[in-house]
Amino acid sequence: MMLSWYWPTPNGKPPLIAVLSVLVPLAVLLLTASTVDMSYNKIFYAIPRMLDFTKNLWVMPDWHYVPQLAKKMLETVEMTLLATALAILLSMPLGVLAAKNASPHPIIFRITRDLLSFIRALPELVWALVFVSALGLGPLPGIMALSLVTVGFMGKFIAESIEVVDAKAIEGLESTGCTKFQSILYAMLPQAVPDFIGSLLYILDHNLRAASILGLVGAGGIGYDMVMSMRLFNYERIGMIALSIYALVTLLDRLSDVFRQKALGGILNVH
Amino acid sequence: MAYISLTAVHKTYPNGYCALKNINLDIQAGQFIAVLGPSGAGKSTLLRAMNALDPATQGEITIDGVTLNKKNYRKIRAHVGMVFQQFNLVDRLNVMTNVLVGRLAEHSWLSSLFYLFPKTDYQIAEAALREVDLLDKAWSRADKLSGGQQQRVGIARALAQQPKLILADEPIASLDPKSSEEVLKLLRKICSEKGITVIVNLHQVEYAKQFADRIIALNAGSLVFDGSPEQLTKAKQAEIYGTTYEETSHDAELVLAYT
Repeated sequence: MMLSWYWPTPNGKPPLIAVLSVLVPLAVLLLTASTVDMSYNKIFYAIPRMLDFTKNLWVMPDWHYVPQLAKKMLETVEMTLLATALAILLSMPLGVLAAKNASPHPIIFRITRDLLSFIRALPELVWALVFVSALGLGPLPGIMALSLVTVGFMGKFIAESIEVVDAKAIEGLESTGCTKFQSILYAMLPQAVPDFIGSLLYILDHNLRAASILGLVGAGGIGYDMVMSMRLFNYERIGMIALSIYALVTLLDRLSDVFRQKALGGILNVH
Repeated sequence: MAYISLTAVHKTYPNGYCALKNINLDIQAGQFIAVLGPSGAGKSTLLRAMNALDPATQGEITIDGVTLNKKNYRKIRAHVGMVFQQFNLVDRLNVMTNVLVGRLAEHSWLSSLFYLFPKTDYQIAEAALREVDLLDKAWSRADKLSGGQQQRVGIARALAQQPKLILADEPIASLDPKSSEEVLKLLRKICSEKGITVIVNLHQVEYAKQFADRIIALNAGSLVFDGSPEQLTKAKQAEIYGTTYEETSHDAELVLAYT
C-alpha cells in the first residue's frame, strides 16, 4: 500500500538541495573521522574505565577543604565580575566605533573590526599564558586575559546590536539638528539595550566557566585546585569542585533568566 | 522677501531616479501649506530637501535668509521641526526624554553624555507637552502610547526646538480618522497661534482643503498646482492625480470611506 505522506513540495518529494545538504556533510565527516583517531572500538572499550572513574567519585567529601574551596570559588566569581565590568567599559566605545552606522569613518570602522577579531583569535588560556609570563602567577593576569577576550566578543556584539537598531528613530533625532554623537547616545544605544543585555548575560555565563579553568596556567581561580586534584587522584575534592561550579553556573543561569524577563518586558526602563 | 524660497531645485537619487524637477517656490512665513500628489510624486523628497535629510542635488534652498549648504544644515535643522509618518520616536525612552531631544542641538557633547538637561529645557518641554495635551504621559515609555499620542509626542519634540518652521511628512498616514483630525487641528492651531510656518504632506484632498491656506501639488517630480484651496477644483484634482474626473470623485469617496 502506498503511504499517504508527502513532503510539502510540488512533487511530494524532498527537495534535492535539502537532501544534499544533509548527505554530503555526513559523508565527508564519516570519511574524514579517522584523521582525528576516531575509533569506535576505543570508545566502546573505554566505557568500563569511565564507569570506574565515576565510581571513585562516590567518596566522603573532604570537609577540611571547604574553606579553601569557598575562598577559591569566590575568587573565581570576583575574577568573572571584575573582568566583565572592565570589558564593558572598554568595549562600549570600541563597539560604537565598530558599528557601520555609528562609526565616524569607514577606515576607523574597518580597523576596529579587525582589532576586535584579532583579540578574539586567541582563547583566554593563551592570553593568560602571555600575561602570566609578564605579571607572574595569580588572579591578576587571569582577569586581564579574560577581560581582553571579553572586549573582543562584547565589542562585536555591541556593534552588531547597534547596526540593527531602528533607523527611523535615528532620523528623528538627526532632523532636530543634533550631532552624530548625540544621536548615538539618544537613539542608537537606548534601542540596543535589550540586545546588549542578552549578550551580556551570555558573556557572564561564558566568563564564569572560563574563569574556572584559567587556574590551569596559574592565572587564579578554582582551576588550579581542580587540575591538581585530578593529577593527584584526589577524588574527595574533584567531586566537590565540579559540584560547586555546576551550582554556581546554574544559579547564574536562573538569575539571568529572571533579569532578562524584567529587562525585556519593559519593566526595566532605560531611565 | 519670502520666508522659504526654492530656486531651480532638482533631486536625483544615486540610482538615477529623478525625484524633483526644477522646483521654484516661495513660501511666506506663518502660512499653513498642504502638499498633495500621488505616491512617488516627490512630496517627501521636497520636505526632506528643506532640512537636508535628503539634500537637493541642484538648485538653492533659502530659509529665513540663510542658504542651505553642507556646512550649515545642522544649524538650520535646529530651528526646523520635523514630524514623520512613523513618528520616529525612540521607543525605549520616556516621553519627556523624547521631547527633550528637541533641545539637544543647543547642548555640548559632555552634558549630552550624562543625559543631563537644564531646568529651562524642562520648562520648554513641559510647555510643549501641555500644548499637545500629553503632560500626564510625560514619564511613560514612548512605545506604550497609542499612535495618535505618539504623533503628538513627535509634534511636542518639534515644538521643543522652538521652531519657525515645521515640516510634517504624511503625519496622519498611520493614524485612525479621529487621531488624524486631532493631529491636523493641532498643527493648524500651532500655525495660527504661534505663527509657525507649517508644511504638511497629505494624501487626503479634503483635509488639505479644510486646513490649508495654500495648496501645492506635485506629480512625477514637477510642480503641477499652486494656489488657494478654492482654486483646487475637481478638474484640477484629476490633473494632479492623472485620472479622469469621474475616477477622482470616486477616489475621493473611497478616501473618505477609509479615513
